[in-house]
Order: sequence, then C-alpha cells, then structure tokens
Amino acid sequence: MPAGVFKETYLADMALLRYPIHWTSLGIGAVLLLAFPLIAGNYGVNTAVSLMIFFIGAIGLNIVTGLAGQISLAHGALMGVGAYTAAYLANNGVNILLAIPVAAITAAIVGAVLALPSFRLKGYYLAMASIAVQEILEYMFKTWIDPDQGITISTSSKNIMGIYLGNGMPLYYTVLGIAVLAVIVAANVGRSGLGRAMKAVRDNDVSAQVVGINVPMTKALAFTIGSLYAGLAGALYVLANPGIGYGAFGLDASIEFLAIVLVGGAGRIVWGSLLGALVIHTGWSLLASAFSADAATKYIVLGGLIAVFVIAEPEGLIGLLRRVKEYFRLWPFRY
Amino acid sequence: MDAAIIGSLTVGSVIIGFVYSVLALGFNLVYRVNKSLNLAHPGLVLLAAYAALIISAQGLGLAIAIAAASLIGFAAGLVLERGAARPLLGRSPVALIAATLGIYYILRGITIKFASDYWSGGAYSLPQVTLGFGPVMLTSADVVALTASMLLLLSIIAIHRFTKLGVAMRAVAENPYGAAGYGLPVRKLTALSWGIAGLVGALGGIALGAEAGVSPYLDSYVLKALAASLVAGLDSVAGIVVGGLILGFAEQFGSYAFSYYLPGFGDVVAYVVMLGVLALKPYGLFGTEKIERI
Repeated sequence: MPAGVFKETYLADMALLRYPIHWTSLGIGAVLLLAFPLIAGNYGVNTAVSLMIFFIGAIGLNIVTGLAGQISLAHGALMGVGAYTAAYLANNGVNILLAIPVAAITAAIVGAVLALPSFRLKGYYLAMASIAVQEILEYMFKTWIDPDQGITISTSSKNIMGIYLGNGMPLYYTVLGIAVLAVIVAANVGRSGLGRAMKAVRDNDVSAQVVGINVPMTKALAFTIGSLYAGLAGALYVLANPGIGYGAFGLDASIEFLAIVLVGGAGRIVWGSLLGALVIHTGWSLLASAFSADAATKYIVLGGLIAVFVIAEPEGLIGLLRRVKEYFRLWPFRY
Repeated sequence: MDAAIIGSLTVGSVIIGFVYSVLALGFNLVYRVNKSLNLAHPGLVLLAAYAALIISAQGLGLAIAIAAASLIGFAAGLVLERGAARPLLGRSPVALIAATLGIYYILRGITIKFASDYWSGGAYSLPQVTLGFGPVMLTSADVVALTASMLLLLSIIAIHRFTKLGVAMRAVAENPYGAAGYGLPVRKLTALSWGIAGLVGALGGIALGAEAGVSPYLDSYVLKALAASLVAGLDSVAGIVVGGLILGFAEQFGSYAFSYYLPGFGDVVAYVVMLGVLALKPYGLFGTEKIERI
C-alpha cells in the first residue's frame, strides 16, 4: 500500500480503484485507448479489434476455468452460436446493435442447457462432456446452419444513423465500448458472492457443498456467464468481419481460448485474459505474418506454451510479471 | 433392413468397436495410475500411425514398421510420464488435462512436420484378399484390424489379471502409498503403465490406420474412443470392450438409420451416447463410484 493513503470506510477499501496510481494509469490508459485509431493505421485498428474480441471471449473462459475451476473445450462452438445468431438476425433486417445482445443471451441460454448434463460431473468427465458439446454443435453448424462454409453478412444492418459500423474508427469505438462494459462486469463477478462461491468450488467442491454452497448451481452459472461472453465475442466477430464460416469455431478455436487463459493467468479474469490474448492471439498473428510460419509451427509453439506454463508457471504470465514487479519494488536493495 | 445389411453392419460395428476399445484402453491405463486424462493420446496415435506408414513406404516391410511404431509409442509414453505427469503429481486433475492437451498439439505439429510428404494420408500395403461369409464381405484390412485389436485387448487384460506384474500394477493404481510400503517400485510401475499405454496407442493407431486409412483425421477417432472409455468407466480395464462395442454399434447403426435425414450423424452419435450415459451414470457403466471425504 502506498504511503499517505488512508481509507476511512469499508466501501473505499473495497473499491476497484483504490490508490492514486490506479486513477493516474486509468486516465493515461483511457486517453491512449481513445487516441489509438488516430495514431495507428487501418491495420493497427483491425488488429486491436480482433484482440478485443478474443479478449472478451477469453474473459468468459477465464470465469469458467480460472474462477470455477472447470475445464471447458466448448468455448469455440459457443462463440459460433453467438456469431450465427447475430448473422441470422442481421441478415433478416435486425440492426446489429440489437443483434449483439440478443446473440449473447442466446449463447448464454445454449450454454446453460448444455451445462445441465454436466451437473453431476466433475473435472475430467466435464472436460470430456464439453468436447462432446463442441463436436455436436460443430456438426449442427456444418449440416444445418452453414452448409456452404460461409455466410455473408448484409452491410445494411451495420448502418446506424448514417454511420457504417463495420470498419475503421466506428468499429473500433463500438467494440471498445462493449469491451469496457464487459470488463467492468467481469471485474465485479470475481468480487461478488457468486465469484467467491465459484472460487470455493474450484478449491474444493466437497467442502464448498458442506458450507452450504449450491455446487451444481454455481457451476451452471459459471458456464452461463462464460457462454454469454463467448456469444458476445461471436457477435462482435460478425460485426468486424464481412462474412463468417464454421471453420473459425472448431475445436482449434476452443484450444486457442484455453491457451489464452492458461498462458495469461487463470483466475486473474481481466489482466490474465488480456495478457494471454495479447501474446497468444495478436502476438502469434504478428509473428506468423512476419516469419510466414506454417500450421505445424503454430501447433508446436501453441502446445509448447500451454504445456510449459501449466507445468512450470501455473499462475501464467501474470505470475511472472508479479515476480518482476516484486523485484523492482525494493530495487536496488534486496530486502 | 434385410439380413445382408444387418449382417454387414454388425460385422462393421464389431470391428470398429474393438478398434475403439484398444484406443480407449490407452486412456484407462493412464487414468488408473494418475487419476486424470491423458489428452496427448490422440497425438500419439496420429504420430505412430504416420511413422508406420512412412517406414513401410520405404520398403522395409510392415513388420519392421509396426515394431518401430510400437517402440516410438512406448518411448513417447515414458517421456510423457517423466515430462508431464511426474511434475504434476499432487496438482489437480485439470492441470494434467491441460498440459497433455498442449502436448497433443506438439505431437500433431511434429507429425505434420516430419510427415509432410505423406500428410494427405495413404494405406498400409496389405495383401488384397476378400473373404466372403454369405452376404458379409471381409477385406484383409478388416481381418488385420479385428485380430490385432482382439489379441492386444486379450493380452493386456490377461497381463493385468493373471501375472505378477499385472498384480503389481493394479496395486500401484489402487493405492500407491500402500504399494510403496510393500516394496513395490511405484515410479517404475507408473512409468511402465504410461509406456504400455503408449504402446497400445501405437498398435491401436496402426489397426485404425489399416481399417480407416491413414489420414490427418485419425485423432478425431481417438477422441471418440475417449467417449467409449467414459461410457465404460475410466477405471475399468475389461469393461472397455463393452464400451467400445456399444459405441461401434451405435455409430454404425445410427449412421445407417439417419443417413437420409441427418447425413454425417454417425460422426457425433458417439458423443450423444456418451452424454446420455453420463447423465444417468456419472462414473460410467463399470466405473467405481467414488465416495468422497473432505
């Protein structure tokens, strides 16, 4: 705690922004985020939008995996549910700004229904049940919803009051606004009673049940909130892209989300997801275009990162950063 | 449905069911000693199947190819145990799932890299013989897959049931501390279980490659075999045959029955069956129900 800061109420002590440095960095960060599209070119804006979409999706999986401790490999397909709902609505004349929340809620409902058989399952059985869900949803996309491997989104649905939201600055600010909202909600989930119940289920589900936590309900809620974020990410993916195909929502996408969460830092919902998305999603796409890497290298690098972080640094990049910070806090003295 | 179709579907179900059982056995052997899933198994099967394909394509003969692939599988199992399972001892089961999932990706990447010339797939060079039993026709690939997987299953089950080594491995799986107290080499036996799982995975991969053709999609069969393993219950070794057969029959008859209305439904029927069984019996048909203490 920095010197000279005195908290007089419990509320002030529990606030998200507690210290002057938080307010300063928030101000600088907000200015940088708002000015980013003026500085960066079109490529930079597109990269940032793609990063934010995967960041939002990763927040959802981080709530499921990091807070509630349930491994889910259905996140890509749930993102697909949101994307196809938004695409269907947009192509039927609904404005995209209305389609986005509807798509997110649809994905949440699908996620809640799919969580029902997993009520009695835990750990590895749940991981496998989520693979089953992923495969079944993927089959539905392939056979019924998107048999032509591609749906073009009508551009007219992305117009609002004469502004085209589908690219450039309007796209950036729309996605940024939704991402900020998503972050505020997610940051508060972890501090609420529900978030504490999830952490209890993660640490020891039998003890959680003994102290009176409704374990199946908590798991189902975690899945529902996670699916909501996945659906939101899918709907924003529709907003940012001229068309979608089911290839983007396969098991590979689910594993990429898991890699983002595990490498970034499971349990640190906001910053862990952001770091993970920055390294795994954006970092990889920049590196791949710089060195023209092939699919095999991607598999090896991604898999290696997952394995190394799980085995050697379970707290993820956040844990590494914290150690660096601790070292420099007293620098140049050792203690 | 006339008799001929029922006959050929039944034979097809039995063959693919036994192949699934062999592939699922790899998951169960690891689960018994580490109480978690080894999701690197699909990658290992893919690697071994391609290794056998490449070696046999060099004109070295299928026997050498099979021997080399089993060696690769056994070694990969040992490496997995030493590199991932042992450092993660005492952590939650989810950690091993995530770590082996990463290794699955590494193995898949390695396979793509070194099998780049053969990546589109192929078939092992088997003598082309067709046996006819009334309306049912068996190709040589069917015979090889069926006999190999049955022999493999029988020998592993027999080793587990009747030999001293099998008793020791069961003891380590049941209670590692107790087994160590009686002087059993727990680490070596755990590593051996992983090695045997890798060996079985490699041989199962070759059987699968003979039956379904070597292709980049072999690992999706192994994920389906994991469904068989869960239907049977993860800690049962002999029950796996029933699980594999249930899945084989469901898949063959399901895809035939739904072929008109739901093309390709056979690919997911395994998962539907698995979700159904898990909803009714969360520990599978033959799995031990756990009574938990804090």
